[in-house]
Amino acid sequence: MGKITIPFGSQHVALPEPVSFLFDTQNEIISDVHVNLGYVHRGIEKAAITKFDYTNLAFLLTRVCGLCSITHASGYIHGLEYLLNAEISKRAEYLRMLVIELDRMHSHLLANGHVAEVVGYENLFMQTFRYREKVMEILERLTGNRVQFDYYTIGGVRRDIDLEDAKEIKKELLELKPKLEKLTEFFETDYTFGLKTKNIGKITKEMALEYGVVGPIARASGVKTDARAEYEYLPYNEIGYKLQTRKDGDVLARNLVRQDEILNSLEMCLNILDNLPEGEIKVKTKGRPKGEVFVRVEAPRGECFYYLKGNGSKIFERVRIRVPTYANLPILKDLFIGEKYSDAQAIVLSFDPCMSCTAR
Amino acid sequence: MKLNKFRKKSPWILHYNTGGCNGCDIEILASLAPKYDIERFGALNKGNPKQADILLVTGPVTKRCKDVLRRLYLQMPEPKVVVAMGACGHGGGVFRNFYHVENGVDNIIPVDVWIPGCAPRPEALIDGIVEAIEILQTKSKEKEYIRNHNEIIDKLGAKDD
Repeated sequence: MGKITIPFGSQHVALPEPVSFLFDTQNEIISDVHVNLGYVHRGIEKAAITKFDYTNLAFLLTRVCGLCSITHASGYIHGLEYLLNAEISKRAEYLRMLVIELDRMHSHLLANGHVAEVVGYENLFMQTFRYREKVMEILERLTGNRVQFDYYTIGGVRRDIDLEDAKEIKKELLELKPKLEKLTEFFETDYTFGLKTKNIGKITKEMALEYGVVGPIARASGVKTDARAEYEYLPYNEIGYKLQTRKDGDVLARNLVRQDEILNSLEMCLNILDNLPEGEIKVKTKGRPKGEVFVRVEAPRGECFYYLKGNGSKIFERVRIRVPTYANLPILKDLFIGEKYSDAQAIVLSFDPCMSCTAR
Repeated sequence: MKLNKFRKKSPWILHYNTGGCNGCDIEILASLAPKYDIERFGALNKGNPKQADILLVTGPVTKRCKDVLRRLYLQMPEPKVVVAMGACGHGGGVFRNFYHVENGVDNIIPVDVWIPGCAPRPEALIDGIVEAIEILQTKSKEKEYIRNHNEIIDKLGAKDD
């Protein structure tokens, strides 16, 4: 049979965001793929150095991506605080970690649920999203909004947590814990789910190191990489952070690494609520940013890199963002070749691609 | 024909992100999930423009997405309703006047329902969809096909499509 070209995107029911893949297939086996990015490019980096001053820039940068909005705010504000020599109180740091970990939980649950949906397991998708909704409720109680929190502010956080809220959130998290454990078991042992995910889109450790993939995709192949462990931007070692890895490197392993991280994040949230230090949530900062700094933070999808350069005026001279999906895309082309077309959706979504981050 | 009645019971949604931040899209996913469950109103998220009744657009419309959005709109059969979701769909929002942004859905295709917020809550989305279903019914009473087809094509600037 001859070559057939199948378009996947830019508008497709499995894709929440526009990205276009053109698959050349022969008897359903993919022989070549053309990736077309940049549908979402808005020109954020240019606007960051022309339109927004350093006090307002966090509002723009959180809107780089809705799923990891808190990561972009953290990348920018950690850099800015370094340039301004600000000392952040312990309580603010703990509250920041709480929201970052809750954000990671809801992002990972969305990714896992989405994989379940595209392999045709609608029920599992619904269950995952049901538990995700509990996390969203907690986030709304903490920050006042469901998606774009704008929780970070220069010198601290925008809202404090009171005793009643902390008690309620702890209760809800404890209720959620057995459900998430059950969900993990389900992902791991379910026969039908395994048929479409085991040994599909396999990345070996050598491949992962060669292409330099980051985040859960690298950790699913056994590469020990995590910005939370390598770079101390927040006191993660105090709250019981553990690096999660798996060995197989297929779609299932990537789902399970995310699932492990969700459980670890939940542990960390409980620890934070138990050991929340007293103190101010916000300190005042002085001066304008001068000098240059780079920041590495761990987004739900992997390592996010920020480079900031200020010249003492209100507007930055350069703001560079390098997002995790950008590092994870090159390996995708290698993975597709030789796989069946019917598995392509599961492979793409197991990477949890975030195009609004990548194209900005 | 009782077509209007059936349309009311099963409006299918076509969702397209024209360069937003993803926040609205995950709220759409959340409203498909058990807690909000948009399927109560018969609405399903289908990827095919030729079967859809409601076009749900998020994002400020980047220059790259402009043409795709126009084509999707023209491919949908009459009657159709366009819903613009999120602050950046309303004139660009935080992305207004960026060099690669077209400042809102209204500059490309006519919009019937606006859902404000950044990002809108799922309740607001459901409210917007219910309003869109009402508009869909009035539209289908008026016309079954486009009368001024050539005029609309000229207005959209889409002669070559």
